[in-house]
Amino acid sequence: MSGNGNEKEQITLTIDGQELTVDKGTNVLEAAAQIGIEIPYFCWHPKLDSVGACRMCLVDVEKIPKPAVSCATEVMPGMVVKTATDEIIKARRGVLEFILLNHPLDCPTCDKGGECDLQDNVFNFGIDKSRQTFTRKRVIDTQTKTTFDDKRIGPEVWRNMNRCVTCFKCTRFNKEIAGEWDLGAFQRGSSTVIDAPPGEQIDNLYSGNVVEICPVGALTNNDWRYKIRNWKATKADSICSHDADGQNITLWYDHRQLFRATSRPNDAIDDGWICNIARYGYQYINSPDRLTKPLIKKGGTQVEATWPEAIELIAKKFSKIKGDKGSVCIAGLLGGNQSNETAYLFNQLFRSVLHSNSVDYRLEYTGLTDGEHSEAYNCLYDAPFQISSLETADCVLIYGSNLIKDHPAVNLRLRKAYRKNDAKVYTANPVETKSGDISTDELIYNPDCGTAFLVALTHALIDGKLYKNIDEAKAAEIKSLLEPSNLNEAATRCGIEVDRINYLASDLAGAKNLFILGGDYLRASSDRSRQANALYNLANLLDIPDSNSAILASQANSKGARFLGLSPQLPAKLAKTLADKWGTTLPESTGCNTSEILKGALEEEIDAVFVMGANPGMRYPDGPFVDAALDKLDFLVVADLFETATSLKADVVLPLAGWSEADGSYVNLSGMYQKFSRALKPKAGIKAGTEILQLLMTAIDPQLKFDLSSLSQNTRDVIDSWAIPQRDKEKFFPVKQAHIVDHEAFPYRLLIGNDLHHYGYLTEHCPSLMKFASEPYVELSTQLAEKLGIDDGDLLRIESTSGKLVLKSKISEFFEGDVIFIPNNFSAVDVNCLVSKETGGWVKIEKLDDK
Amino acid sequence: MILTTTTIDKIKTRMARYPSHRSAILPALTEAYRQVGNLNPAIYKEIAKIIRVPYVEVAEAASFYTMFPKNETGRYLLQVCHNISCSLRGADNMLLYIQEKLGIKLGETTKDNLFTLISVECLGGCSAAPMLQIDDTYYENLTREKIDSLIADLRTNAAHKNQEAPSTATPDSDSTDSKDDV
Ligand code: SF4
Ligand code: FES
Ligand code: FES
Repeated sequence: MSGNGNEKEQITLTIDGQELTVDKGTNVLEAAAQIGIEIPYFCWHPKLDSVGACRMCLVDVEKIPKPAVSCATEVMPGMVVKTATDEIIKARRGVLEFILLNHPLDCPTCDKGGECDLQDNVFNFGIDKSRQTFTRKRVIDTQTKTTFDDKRIGPEVWRNMNRCVTCFKCTRFNKEIAGEWDLGAFQRGSSTVIDAPPGEQIDNLYSGNVVEICPVGALTNNDWRYKIRNWKATKADSICSHDADGQNITLWYDHRQLFRATSRPNDAIDDGWICNIARYGYQYINSPDRLTKPLIKKGGTQVEATWPEAIELIAKKFSKIKGDKGSVCIAGLLGGNQSNETAYLFNQLFRSVLHSNSVDYRLEYTGLTDGEHSEAYNCLYDAPFQISSLETADCVLIYGSNLIKDHPAVNLRLRKAYRKNDAKVYTANPVETKSGDISTDELIYNPDCGTAFLVALTHALIDGKLYKNIDEAKAAEIKSLLEPSNLNEAATRCGIEVDRINYLASDLAGAKNLFILGGDYLRASSDRSRQANALYNLANLLDIPDSNSAILASQANSKGARFLGLSPQLPAKLAKTLADKWGTTLPESTGCNTSEILKGALEEEIDAVFVMGANPGMRYPDGPFVDAALDKLDFLVVADLFETATSLKADVVLPLAGWSEADGSYVNLSGMYQKFSRALKPKAGIKAGTEILQLLMTAIDPQLKFDLSSLSQNTRDVIDSWAIPQRDKEKFFPVKQAHIVDHEAFPYRLLIGNDLHHYGYLTEHCPSLMKFASEPYVELSTQLAEKLGIDDGDLLRIESTSGKLVLKSKISEFFEGDVIFIPNNFSAVDVNCLVSKETGGWVKIEKLDDK
Repeated sequence: MILTTTTIDKIKTRMARYPSHRSAILPALTEAYRQVGNLNPAIYKEIAKIIRVPYVEVAEAASFYTMFPKNETGRYLLQVCHNISCSLRGADNMLLYIQEKLGIKLGETTKDNLFTLISVECLGGCSAAPMLQIDDTYYENLTREKIDSLIADLRTNAAHKNQEAPSTATPDSDSTDSKDDV
C-alpha cells in the first residue's frame, strides 16, 4: 500500500439527492463533508481510524435496513444516502438523549464551553428535555458532594468523567498515534473510566493532545483551566519557538497574558498533533522573572539604566574597539530561536556596520575542532527533507538521534510510516530510545563509535555488492577510504555483531523509499563532520534522493540563521545579495565561528562580544572554557529575556522581547519559511530584537537609513536566494573512526542534552513543563545501577577531570551499559563543568552515603 | 512475584495458541485469577511482562470483566445476572432474597468469609433465566427454594473441606472450557 493518492479508484454516489464522486476508501461522513453536508459526530477524527463508538453520525443508506454509522461506512458505487430524514433526526435526538443521560450540564463552569461538540450537537440536533426520571448515574465528589469529580490524571491533565461521551479519541490518539501506554479506558458502558493505569499518570510528551482532541470538557488542562472563557481570548497564528520542526500553533491571549497554545494543524509538518513543549513552551513569555530594565555594570555590579544610556554605551564601546583595535575584535553570537528578521539585522550590524565577519548561531556544538563543518555535513544539513514525506517510507534508518526528544513531529511521522506503511525502522544510537518499540533492530554502538558503525555498514554494503550505480573498481576504491579497513574490525569497534549489520545493509539496499536521518547525537559529537561524510557516502552508495538523506537542524530558526548567512563564511552569491541589500561592501577579513570566538576571547584577540537570545555560559558544552573566555572579555553585551549564566557576566544587559512579542518568521528543518504573528506586545522596558538592533546601528552610524517596512521582504529575499547544494553522486569521502580520549580512571560516558520535556534554557521558565521535570538528574541503566548498588533517587557524585557535581539518580529502561545522561536545561546546576575538550565527556560515579 | 511457576507455565502454553500476544490477555488473566482468587495491578504488571503487552492493556481488559473480582472475595463468589432476560424473569427478586438470606448487601461478603454477592451482565444463560454463576458452574432457573438448597449445600461443602484440609480459597481449575475462551 504505497501512499500515492493519484491512482485511487473513484466512486460515485448520491447524498441527499446530490451526486458526487470521491476516492475509494472515503467514508460517508467525509464524502458528505466534501459537498458541505454536515453530519454530526463525536468519535470520528480525520487522523484516527474509525471505530463507530458514539453513534452520533447515523445516516440512512438505501438497502441498509437500519441507520448506519456514516463514519465507519465506506462509500460504494451507486450508494444512496440521506442524512436528514425524519427517522435520522429522531435517531440523533435519541443518541443525544442517551449521551446526556448522566451529564451534569455544568456548561457555565466548564472550560470547554463555547468550543464543545456536545453543546453544538445538542444545539443543532438535540431535544430540550429528557424523558428519563430515574436517578442519574454520576461520579460525585464525596467531599464537596458535587459532580465536579475532577481528578488529576497527569501533571497537566484533569479528567471529569461525568462529561465524557466515551468516544475514545483520547486513548486512541495516545496508543495509535503517540505509541504511549499511559492512558486507558477502564470498566465499561456507563461506568467507563478514562484514566492512567493504576499507579501511573499520563505524562508522555504528546499528552496535551488528549485534552485538545476531547470533544467535550472531560479532559482539560491545568494550564488553561478556569482562567478565561475562550471567546474572550484573542488568537494569533504562531510557530513553536523551541525545536526545529516548526510545529504550528495558535496562541490565545488577552491584554494581560498568554493563556494557551493549541495546534494549528499543518499536515506538512505536524499532522495536527503538537508536543507538550510546543503546547506549554510559550509560558516563559508570561514569566514574572523577565528582565524589564537595561542593566549596566558599574564598579563590578549591574545597576539599572535607561535604554538611551545602554545603547549609547554599547555604540561608544563598539566604535572605540573598532577604531583602536580593528573590527575583527568584535564578535556576535545569536541564539537559534531568534526570528529571521532579527537575524538579518544582527548580520547587518556585524558585517555592514561593525565590519566584522565573526558571527555565529551554532552555539551548542562542541568545538569545531577540525575547522568548519565538512562539505558533506553542510550538504546533508541543507537537504530538502520534508517531514510529511517520511510517512511514505518503506525503510528508515535513524542514526544518532533520540528522535522523540530531538524532533517530536518527525518522531510521530516515523510512527505513522510504521503504522500505515509497514515501514521497517532501524535506529542506531549510543543509547536506547523511544523508537525502539517500532524498530526492526535497535542498534546500540559503543560511545563515540558511531563513525565505526557507519564504516561497518558501508563495508557490509560493498562486501555484499548491495551498492547501486557504481562498478566494482569504484567500490574497492571506496573501501580503501575507510578506517577500520574491514567489516569485522569496524563491527568490533562499534560493538555491534556483523550479522546484524549485514541484515541492516540488505534491508537498506532492498528498500524502495529509504530515508536516512541523523540528529542530535551526531550534531553534538566532535567528529560530526566525519559521520556526515560517512552518511553522504551511504546516500550515494544506496542512490537515495537528496530529500531522503538529511542531518536534522536543531533549533526553531537555526536553519533560517544559516540561510541568512549568520556564520563566518559566506557563499559568494549570498555575500553579493547581502552587500546589495545593505548598499555596502562586506569585510574581507576571515571571521571566527563560536569556538574560535571564545578562543579569541581567551587569548585576548577578541575584546567585545554581543550575545543575543543565547546562553553559551550554560549551554556551550565545554564549561570551563566558556567561563574563562567570557570572563576575559573586555566588553560583553547580552540581550535576553532572563538573567542567565551569560548575562551575569555582562557589562550591559538588554531586556529582549520573546518570539511571540513581535511579528516574525522562522525556517524549519525542512527549509520551510513560516511566518508568525505578534500576540501580546512586550511589557514596558522590553524591546524586540529588531528594534534593539536598529537603535544600535543608528547610534553607531547615524547616516544609516532604515526602511523597516521592507525588512520582512528583504529577509525573505535573502533566504530564498540560498542555494541548496546538491549531493554529488560521484563523490565519496574518506571516513575514519576518531581516536577516543584516554579515560582510564573515568569509565562512564556522559551524554548531555535536553530532558524529554525541556528544550534549551528557556523552558525552565514554563511552569507546566517544570511539572514534568523540575531539576537535573543523572539517568543511568539498570545494569549500571545494579553494578554500583544504586537505587532510584540516590545521590551520586559525578566527577570528571574538569569538575564535579552531585545529582539524584534516575534509573531508566532506555539506557544500556556504561552510558549516562544529564539534562542541561536547568540553570541551578552547572552541568557543563563536567565537560571539556580534555575529558571527552568521560566521568566517574560515586554513590554518596545517605545521611 | 505473585504468580507461581505453574501459573506462568500455563499462561505460556495458552499464549502459544494465539498469533498475537494481545489475544493471550484474557487467558492469562483467567489463569492468574484461578491461582489467586482475585486480581490487582501487581498481577497485571506481571502478566504484561510475561505475555509482552503494555501494562495498561492488561489493566483495561481486567477492569472490563466483572467475572474477575478485584478485591478479596469470600470462598464463593455469587455472580447474579441482572441483564434483560434474567430481569424479566425475576432476577431482582432473587438478588433481594439472597441479600436478605445472607444478611449482606450487593458487593459485600458474609462475616464468615464464605459468600460474596455481586450482580453481573448477561452470562449467556438466558434460556434458563434467572441464573447465577459460582466458580465455573451455572445455577439456572433460580427459585427461592433452589437458592436455599444451594446455600445450604455450599455451607456443608465448605465445612467438609475445612475438616479435610485447610482451605486454599482456590476455585477449581480443571474445567478449562469455560466461557473465558470464547
Ligand atoms: S475523555 Fe474525552 S476524548 Fe476521552 S473518551 Fe471521554 S469524551 Fe472522548
Ligand atoms: S462519529 Fe460515527 S460513531 Fe461516532
Ligand atoms: S440475561 Fe441473564 S444470562 Fe443473559
